[in-house]
Amino acid sequence: MRGTVPVLEARGTPFPSAPFVRFSTLWVQVTGTWCNLQCVHCLNASGPRDPWLKPLCAERVRHAIRESEALGVKDIYFTGGEPFLHREILPLLGVALAAAPTTVLTNGAAISEATVAALASLARGAPYSLEIRVSLDDVDPERNDRVRGRGAWARAVLTIRRLHAHGLLPIVAATEDPGGEGQVGPGLYGRLRDFLVDLGIDKPRVKILPLFPAGRLAGRGGDLLSEEVLDGFDRGQLQCAEARVVADGGVYACPILAGLPGARLSAGDLEESFRPVPLFHPACVTCFETGMTCRNA
Amino acid sequence: MSRPAAAIVNVRHPVAAYRRIAVFGGVYSNALALEATIEDARRREAEAVFCLGDMGGFGPHPDRVFPLLRAGAVLSLQGNYDESLASGREDCGCGYTDPRDNHFARISYAYTFAHTSAENKAWLGSLPRHCRVQLGGSSVLMCHGSPRRVNEFLWESTTPNGLLRRLFRDHAADVILCTHTGIKWHRALPGGQHLVNVGAIGRPENDGSPRVWYALLTADAELEVEFVPVRYDHSTLARQMDAEGLPPEFAETVRTGWWTTCLESLPARERARGRF
Repeated sequence: MRGTVPVLEARGTPFPSAPFVRFSTLWVQVTGTWCNLQCVHCLNASGPRDPWLKPLCAERVRHAIRESEALGVKDIYFTGGEPFLHREILPLLGVALAAAPTTVLTNGAAISEATVAALASLARGAPYSLEIRVSLDDVDPERNDRVRGRGAWARAVLTIRRLHAHGLLPIVAATEDPGGEGQVGPGLYGRLRDFLVDLGIDKPRVKILPLFPAGRLAGRGGDLLSEEVLDGFDRGQLQCAEARVVADGGVYACPILAGLPGARLSAGDLEESFRPVPLFHPACVTCFETGMTCRNA
Repeated sequence: MSRPAAAIVNVRHPVAAYRRIAVFGGVYSNALALEATIEDARRREAEAVFCLGDMGGFGPHPDRVFPLLRAGAVLSLQGNYDESLASGREDCGCGYTDPRDNHFARISYAYTFAHTSAENKAWLGSLPRHCRVQLGGSSVLMCHGSPRRVNEFLWESTTPNGLLRRLFRDHAADVILCTHTGIKWHRALPGGQHLVNVGAIGRPENDGSPRVWYALLTADAELEVEFVPVRYDHSTLARQMDAEGLPPEFAETVRTGWWTTCLESLPARERARGRF
């Protein structure tokens, strides 16, 4: 991938753009699209074989964290793929936590008891919060595994239990399914919350995400954003106005679109990527319409 | 009381200078705690009392706080709640993304909007968003959420020093005072700058005690930051909330000191300290 993706030249494109307001959030696509699961709705088509977006080497990640700390980053997120497949994920989380509060997004399927204990130790010793966000799309194992693959539910729930037992408070993240009954908005939220309480988790934390027409659902997109649609809307509220993503091949505007040529803003330098972002993808419509953020809150 | 605060903000040189100030945020319609706080600050010889915004929300009878702010000569800033009420927005602008938080926020905002007079809404609309004062040798910048965004949450566990250095540099301040999260904290950087989140007096800070807190800052040889606990008649407040038909979850927080709502915005570390 490296060297083959052009840096986008926003000027002259037919797309509306979002301004660069400030640098708040660094996303690290640490394993690219390398994942142990192959979810049907995966927004960057991650999977176990031949990831189209390669993992990052540890030194690239450390450099990005140092650079972002000097630029006053507010929070750091690790995503993929599955971040816990990266051989150096624990030391990298330690480096990140020394700089800023850090969140890692995981499917929970590759986290052992020993890893959970190490995470708890990291959290206790860090100056800032460590957040573990575990994906679970349904309280029903069968319905969850139809989306995320056989055995995914059991492994995710085991990880949630282990995290709780070690004093960590995982955030359980679910993706809405507009086609499923009770699988959207408050209904899905309530079912997950009740489920966690029944598990014995006394401080349940749930985040609901919309489906994105990207990755494996790329064909579901409708119209793109236009200047007319965005007229009067404060584009500074879009997360790409405050976030940048370090991934294989450069710095990108959005964690959902990392690796796509249209979202690439620089070849690797963070500060160079601080410029307006073209809203060129159907996923930009989802962000605009739902007001969602990939951040925790 | 809006005029003195506005004057301080609008006149860059000279700014008002003090040796000791009292600062609080998040009144949340808690007139009983407000009255007790102002009395306490005067007793401790604060030369000026500042409120960093969010007069309404959560509590009963929002119009009861405004006469107290005026009588107490409290210099007030505009919070996100105040801005929303003044401009007739449909929501409080607290920045929640969680359905449960938003459910309770909607109830609270609808009640507060309906029970705040037009005159007081207009007053909220007249308040400044920032205020600079001199405290001894320190240049102090006051704001609601952060100097850059009215509804930005600056929690202790999610505010890195790198961000603070940037805020102090970008806003040319030695001391930044903020609120919005409802939980107090203070950090001094090696360079001598101070970030003080003054907490809120409208509801307890999720520590199992019904008391609330404000900040007292004194310029001696060094800047002294003291958080002062305030006890007030919280049982009466809870009864008033019940009588007004506000959610029982709100009154429970006032009675027990544990947060029952607005939990999802809490980072892991702050959430772990609470009961729910």
